[in-house]
Amino acid sequence: MTSLLRGQLRSSALLGVALFVGLTGLFFWPAGLSPLRMLELLWSGAFGSGYAISETLVKATPILWCALAVAVPAKVGLISLGAEGQMYMGAIAGGGWVLALPTEPSWVLIPGMLACAATAGGLWGSVAGWMKARLNISEIIVSMLLNFIAIDFLDYLIHGPWRAAHSSNWPQTARFPDASVLPPVLAAYRVHLGLIGALLVAAALYFISAWTRWGLIANVLACNPRLSAQAGVSYPKWIILLMTAGGAVAGIGGMAEAAGIQGRLETQFLPGYGLYGFLTAWLARHDFRLIVPLSVVMAAILSLADSLQLSAQLPSSSALIMEGFFFLSVLFFGSGAKASS
Amino acid sequence: MTSAHSTLSLLVSAWRSSTPMAFVLAGEVMGQRAGVVNIGVEGQMLVGAAAGFALALQTGSYWTGLIGGAAAGLVLSALHGVLCLVRRANQITSGVAVFILGSGLSSYFGTSLVGRQLLGAAVPSVFRDWAGGLLSQTTPTMVIGLLVPLALGWFLFRTRPGLEWRAVGESTSVARALGVHPMAFRWTAILLGGLLSGFGGASLSVDYARSWSEGMTSGRALVAVGLVIMTRWNPLWVTPVALIFGAAETLSLTLQAQGVRLSPYLLETLPYLIPLVLLALDAKVGRNLGLMPASLHEILLPSG
Repeated sequence: MTSLLRGQLRSSALLGVALFVGLTGLFFWPAGLSPLRMLELLWSGAFGSGYAISETLVKATPILWCALAVAVPAKVGLISLGAEGQMYMGAIAGGGWVLALPTEPSWVLIPGMLACAATAGGLWGSVAGWMKARLNISEIIVSMLLNFIAIDFLDYLIHGPWRAAHSSNWPQTARFPDASVLPPVLAAYRVHLGLIGALLVAAALYFISAWTRWGLIANVLACNPRLSAQAGVSYPKWIILLMTAGGAVAGIGGMAEAAGIQGRLETQFLPGYGLYGFLTAWLARHDFRLIVPLSVVMAAILSLADSLQLSAQLPSSSALIMEGFFFLSVLFFGSGAKASS
Repeated sequence: MTSAHSTLSLLVSAWRSSTPMAFVLAGEVMGQRAGVVNIGVEGQMLVGAAAGFALALQTGSYWTGLIGGAAAGLVLSALHGVLCLVRRANQITSGVAVFILGSGLSSYFGTSLVGRQLLGAAVPSVFRDWAGGLLSQTTPTMVIGLLVPLALGWFLFRTRPGLEWRAVGESTSVARALGVHPMAFRWTAILLGGLLSGFGGASLSVDYARSWSEGMTSGRALVAVGLVIMTRWNPLWVTPVALIFGAAETLSLTLQAQGVRLSPYLLETLPYLIPLVLLALDAKVGRNLGLMPASLHEILLPSG
């Protein structure tokens, strides 16, 4: 990247943020929040205290997993919108493992849970990969429709066979056994090992993409699939492989969220996160390093929405509106820089 | 009830439940014909459903609700136009951003609509007076939903601007050589898509459900984006293809009503599962990708 492009990127990012602040400020002004008060709330809500920082990182964790999952198939130019469904399928399979073996020790529960989650998420991702590779059906559409099926399947389980015997009106499974719950990174805060796991996966993926032959092959395929023969690989196989790998990452992420935060399976415990993760990965241009800070930015916006809910009784959908404004703003100013990259 | 009668009544139900998505599908077909993919239609449909329902509730007028919903969808679609036509942003990403904003706006302004019943804004009867029977269930949007694809098909294949519209979708440089301004057509296509998806959303809340709930479109518009491929980018195929979704939804609801011993949550997967399976079969048998407007390849099948 040249320094010229760097400067261009920085100024377009600044303009994008300015547009975002302007749009959000104008939109929520009628609800009695001045733009200045919004900025204040953004700071205090997202980073103002140890607790706020921890909660922002809690929100950043599933966004990070999801964005990594999207970025993996994007390395060969595939667009997956199915991370949310893959996360639910991962959580279902991993949750099934620990709920079926409640008395086993941690060393059985946690590795088994992660393996089940990766397998189920990977399988879910491979469906879209297979349909793309063998039938040439856009993976965008298939992965998106699979989200709805995964959500319905989770609802079926928590309303039906897996519903906790003495749960109240709120449909959910029994609590996971204590030995399977991911411990917090710091006592008294909710940030859990899932964040550390995501950072390790991000580092590993960066290493693979930047320093190994696989990363090189992916780069070649992304530029021109017809070169796959020269590279000695099968492009359709790589499509399935990377969609599966992305699904596996998402599956582990969904499991980490269920085991680290909810401690059980509930309906739609990651509302909208699939889309936030998708756009985060896009803004990072599928660079595994950039995804990490951008996930925190996304999460900070969600934290702001939470403080709006508490301090101004605004509906929870404020989060969607702000995320929408954010992406519109960044896309508005970001596309020029993209063309020259 | 005779079996012929009940088959017919199922068909009418399928027609009824396919109607809201038929509008979205028609709009998306026209958009893709001009070289624009818009995943934001889901957000536009949600906004149309909320705005249409709120207006119908307020004014007591069925038609005001529908038109208001269409206008709301149109306004939101303009954002997609600005991002991908003016700012040259990626169409998929821009669509996702519009989708997020639309679902946020509809939930934000819709909270006061939850649980409200449309007592006024009666659905005008279409065939009640002279046909009776099953057709008395027919509503205006169902009829409009049949006519719009016919009109668009006529426009696209029988008129000069229709030819230019298709040329823009195949190649902007060829279109320019014909003396056509591709951007004007793409803007029209995006706004038409917004209008139709907003109208479809309003027909869902004002006509079909007669109530509003958060996220009530439940992916209909996204299914529509997926099913465009089965229409072969031909508006005349919109009605039969939309009926696939309508039939799947009717099947799911009928099985639930008959007390089939299968969880309603599993049955609710049918409207997604059946289109997916048919898409796969169609791709296996139909080899219809050759019919895709050429400029879409770089968006939908960048590597194909």
